[in-house]
Amino acid sequence: MRKLFLMLILALLVMVIPAAAQDDEATDIVVWIAFTDGRLDWARERAAEFNELYPEYNVIIEGYGSYNEAFDATLLAAEQGNPPAITHFFEAATQEARDAVTDSGEPLFKSVEAAIAGRTEINGVPVILDDVISAAANYYTLDGEFTSMPWNTSSAIMFTNMDILEAAGIEEIPATWQELEAACEVIMAMESAPEACITWPNHSWFFEQSMAQQGADLANNGNGREARATEVFINSDAAVAYLDWWKRMYDNGYYVYTGVVRDWTGTYNAFIAQQVAFLIYSSSDTTLITNDSQEAGFTAVASFMPHNGEVEYVGNLIGGATLWLNNGLDEETETGALMFMNWFSNPQNAADWHKFTGYVPITNAAIELLEEEGWYEENPNSRVASAQLEAAQPSSATAGALIGNFVAIRDVITSAVEEILLNDVDVVEALNAANEEANQLLSDYNELYGE
Amino acid sequence: MEQAIPQTKVQLTNSNGILPKRWGVHVLLWIACFLVGFPLLYAILVSTQTNAEVTNFKLTFGTSFEQNLKAVMVNRNLGDYMLNSTLQAIIITVGKTVLSLLAGLAFVYFRFPGKWIVFGFVLITLMMPTEIMVIALFRLMSELGWGQLPSLTVPFLASATGAFLFRQHFANLPTELSEAAQLDGANPLQFLFMVLIPLSWNTIGALAVIQFVYVWNMYLWPQLLQADVVQVGLGALLNFDGSLSYGPMMMGAVVASIPPVIVFLLLQRQFMNGFAISAEK
Amino acid sequence: MVFHANMLPFFIITGIIGGAYLGFVFRQSNRSLINGMMLGGAAGLVGPWLFMTPLRSCTFETERTNTDFLLGLFFFFFGAALVIWLVQYISLFFHPDIKMRPSLIGKQDSRGVFRSNFLVPFLLLLPTLIILALFLYYPAYETFRLATFRYRLGAPRTPFKCVDNFTELLTADYGEIMIITLTLSALIVIFALIISLAIAYLAYQPVKGASIYRTLLIWPYAISPPVAGIIFFVMFDPVAGVIDHLTTTFLNTGIPAWSESPNFARFIIVAASVWKVLGYNILFYIAGLQTIPKDLIEAAAIDGANGWQRFRNVVIPLLSPITFFLIITNLTYAFFETYGTIDYLTRGGPTGATTTAIYNIMITAKQDKWLGRAAAQSVVLFVIVIGITVWQFRTSGRQVNYGA
Repeated sequence: MRKLFLMLILALLVMVIPAAAQDDEATDIVVWIAFTDGRLDWARERAAEFNELYPEYNVIIEGYGSYNEAFDATLLAAEQGNPPAITHFFEAATQEARDAVTDSGEPLFKSVEAAIAGRTEINGVPVILDDVISAAANYYTLDGEFTSMPWNTSSAIMFTNMDILEAAGIEEIPATWQELEAACEVIMAMESAPEACITWPNHSWFFEQSMAQQGADLANNGNGREARATEVFINSDAAVAYLDWWKRMYDNGYYVYTGVVRDWTGTYNAFIAQQVAFLIYSSSDTTLITNDSQEAGFTAVASFMPHNGEVEYVGNLIGGATLWLNNGLDEETETGALMFMNWFSNPQNAADWHKFTGYVPITNAAIELLEEEGWYEENPNSRVASAQLEAAQPSSATAGALIGNFVAIRDVITSAVEEILLNDVDVVEALNAANEEANQLLSDYNELYGE
Repeated sequence: MEQAIPQTKVQLTNSNGILPKRWGVHVLLWIACFLVGFPLLYAILVSTQTNAEVTNFKLTFGTSFEQNLKAVMVNRNLGDYMLNSTLQAIIITVGKTVLSLLAGLAFVYFRFPGKWIVFGFVLITLMMPTEIMVIALFRLMSELGWGQLPSLTVPFLASATGAFLFRQHFANLPTELSEAAQLDGANPLQFLFMVLIPLSWNTIGALAVIQFVYVWNMYLWPQLLQADVVQVGLGALLNFDGSLSYGPMMMGAVVASIPPVIVFLLLQRQFMNGFAISAEK
Repeated sequence: MVFHANMLPFFIITGIIGGAYLGFVFRQSNRSLINGMMLGGAAGLVGPWLFMTPLRSCTFETERTNTDFLLGLFFFFFGAALVIWLVQYISLFFHPDIKMRPSLIGKQDSRGVFRSNFLVPFLLLLPTLIILALFLYYPAYETFRLATFRYRLGAPRTPFKCVDNFTELLTADYGEIMIITLTLSALIVIFALIISLAIAYLAYQPVKGASIYRTLLIWPYAISPPVAGIIFFVMFDPVAGVIDHLTTTFLNTGIPAWSESPNFARFIIVAASVWKVLGYNILFYIAGLQTIPKDLIEAAAIDGANGWQRFRNVVIPLLSPITFFLIITNLTYAFFETYGTIDYLTRGGPTGATTTAIYNIMITAKQDKWLGRAAAQSVVLFVIVIGITVWQFRTSGRQVNYGA
């Protein structure tokens, strides 16, 4: 008995000890990316290239299932004193990332622009911040500087199944809600009508996009950009108009709800399976949608996200995520992290990233490169998101809201949409309730974070 | 004395009556074993299959055993996680056994002032599941800043369960043992190692199995710590390349279950004996 | 501790009740009345003090609402009752009459023959005591203290909020979570006990290869709750899972998608949890069955009881200590361990249908980062667990709690 124990323990220790041994020379730069799919592999490939180019650094990419998970994980890890050098945060967490402090009261993150401190290159890697496209710069420049490094940036656009559109005899892709509704009426009246006319995920991002389109701020103090937002406007006229339209589309059987909040997969599959004629989606999957639709035997054409034709169209805003630099890094790690961030989105990589996914090319140089290559002529769908962002009038509405506790507030919005669609709660009533709840969340937040 | 499980050789004529004859019992037992084993059998089957094979429901081994194994062990690092879990389980099992032996020794073979307070202090912890205090524990470990492995192990090195298990075991041993040991001039530690431990292998074995399985299967606390241990690592299999991949999921489930099941089977006798209801005196 | 004048009468009440109660108990069992009264009186003061210290006695401030005040009183008297009872219970282990000692963890305490420096036993116990104090007692206290703060991970400020984190829980949403928790737990315990007793009774029959059958029946003990979650996730997949294939083949109807059917999702959680705990229960029932004297069953048989009557009237009552012990351990299992199963199976969904109390604590802490609120929910669970444990101690099962 005793021998068995000892042997077991010895055997296991022998297995374990070599694994614990370390062999380090290069400086480790841990990067947490909120992807687990091909985009993570893409990032890993780039990291491998970087490590080869700059052998004094060892970039380690770790994947997380969602933006939320990466965000939660970073805070938990920071609390334990071992956060990554770089974390990938989505736009909605921007305010919270700025506000977050460690146990000792130090800010959790360091402004990327401050860390770069005016350098135009770091150890031979050119700094790209000056060249970032204006929509992303508007969103992420706070107090006059980039607090984080833009990477994957998208916008909400619409994809149209041209085969269905032609079958219905509609010549132009609808650009407004009203045109879309009319088109749906025609399409659903066809003998060979699809199951529904349109779908998009019940994600608060689309709600925010439609606010921006109508020039409505989501929060006070210039969408939280002049000063900390203390009030949100989820029940504004613009919001009511949007939900009225959405609800009508749903009740008429034009819009199909997959029954799951933030259901990117379900809505995507419905479009590829030609169960719907239109899909409002993130431009981040433009390449995938274009290819998958071809494989499925139809043509998908991208266009601007439809807007409310009854008010002036102001423009759309961005979505996506940026790379945040941890505050407590030693100098060498910080330098390596900054080098990697800038190299990661150099024109060549940014163009490649765009081609691979559909995220907008993050710098003007990358756009030029793509134009030179003739990419846009061959892939007109890929140009739409950038064009939509370029067309936006600069304003607080199109810059996007900065709100504390935004992630939780987004959940309030998606639940309100479910209440309206599924439980037939009156639009104004549901939005009022949501607004109250969201303001409570915001004041809870500001009590702890506010000045 | 703790009784070994009595050998069921006592033949009762038709001991049950509500049950059919022998072969009937065999049939029913077979069915019970099959139903209990079914989820794992299915998991083993699926772990060798591709998604298409799973969806088309084949009752044979699939063609994807190697790919699934590689996906789990290499691409998702389950092998590393399992090593960490092993290390964690060994440290806790060994540490808790030692501390519990010492505590049992103190409780049974010593009289000392304030014993009832110390005893009560240990007893009350039976009311305190770790799950309830993970948030405070998380803060404490963050503040101590010891790093992952100590956070995974040190808080679990002592428990009322272990201390009382040995207390009960020692209390049921004959008094003469300690008297003889004292006459021989043995000190308490010598007594523990020379006399008590050799008489306690069944109890130690039982505690070892319980601890190993408990630690290996621990999830809530390591998840909060974001520790690289096996139960947490399985999470990476749920969203494999952005969609469900049944084969790797089941492969992970099966591979992660092998060590505790092996330990359990190896120490099964000790486990059963340790668990045997001790007769009250 | 902050002291408010209006607390005085309550301290007097708990002190007197504690002294009177323990004095009475000690007197009844031929122990010193004075000792009992002093212990009880002290316990009656220490208990409330323990709970009022982290609260800073805030509920006794005059401007507090009635709800706050009543909640404070609850903690006040809960603390008193708990400590008085604990002192009384622990003192029983040292009752001069060994027959009076609780059998929970064995009656005998001492073979006190080692005559040595009185420091030796303390040295032997020291590592255990340090770890228990630092990693159980301190976090337990700290959990209660954190529950009084509006504390968020990463926030620069953590204002003291008295019992706000608790009164916030008095909503329909949290009530629903508790109902889900209790329903799921009850179902898990009931099914796990009935099925395991039936199987154990089978495996207890003296047939050839009994030990092999037993091994084949109890191994799921070694399976982890997350693994159970993963396996049942695939089994009950509405498209690819084997259960759907079976029902389609034999019943001509597929299973619903759990993501669209709250009750089906709950059913799967119960099924997976029962399966995982089955081995543990079978093990204990077999061990319990083996301690039943055969002559009792034979005597019943001679009296003309048929098989079912013997099972019903002899076996089940004799197993009741084990059943009771299993109810307690399975309840704890259903409360806490099912977290892994739920997290890997339904993630609390659909729309919160399988969000149990412990799952909600983790969502509040990890996802919403409200550590103070999560701590308050933990305290609620803590109170429930204390209730269950006291019940267990009083009824005094014949077994050590092997939970952890």
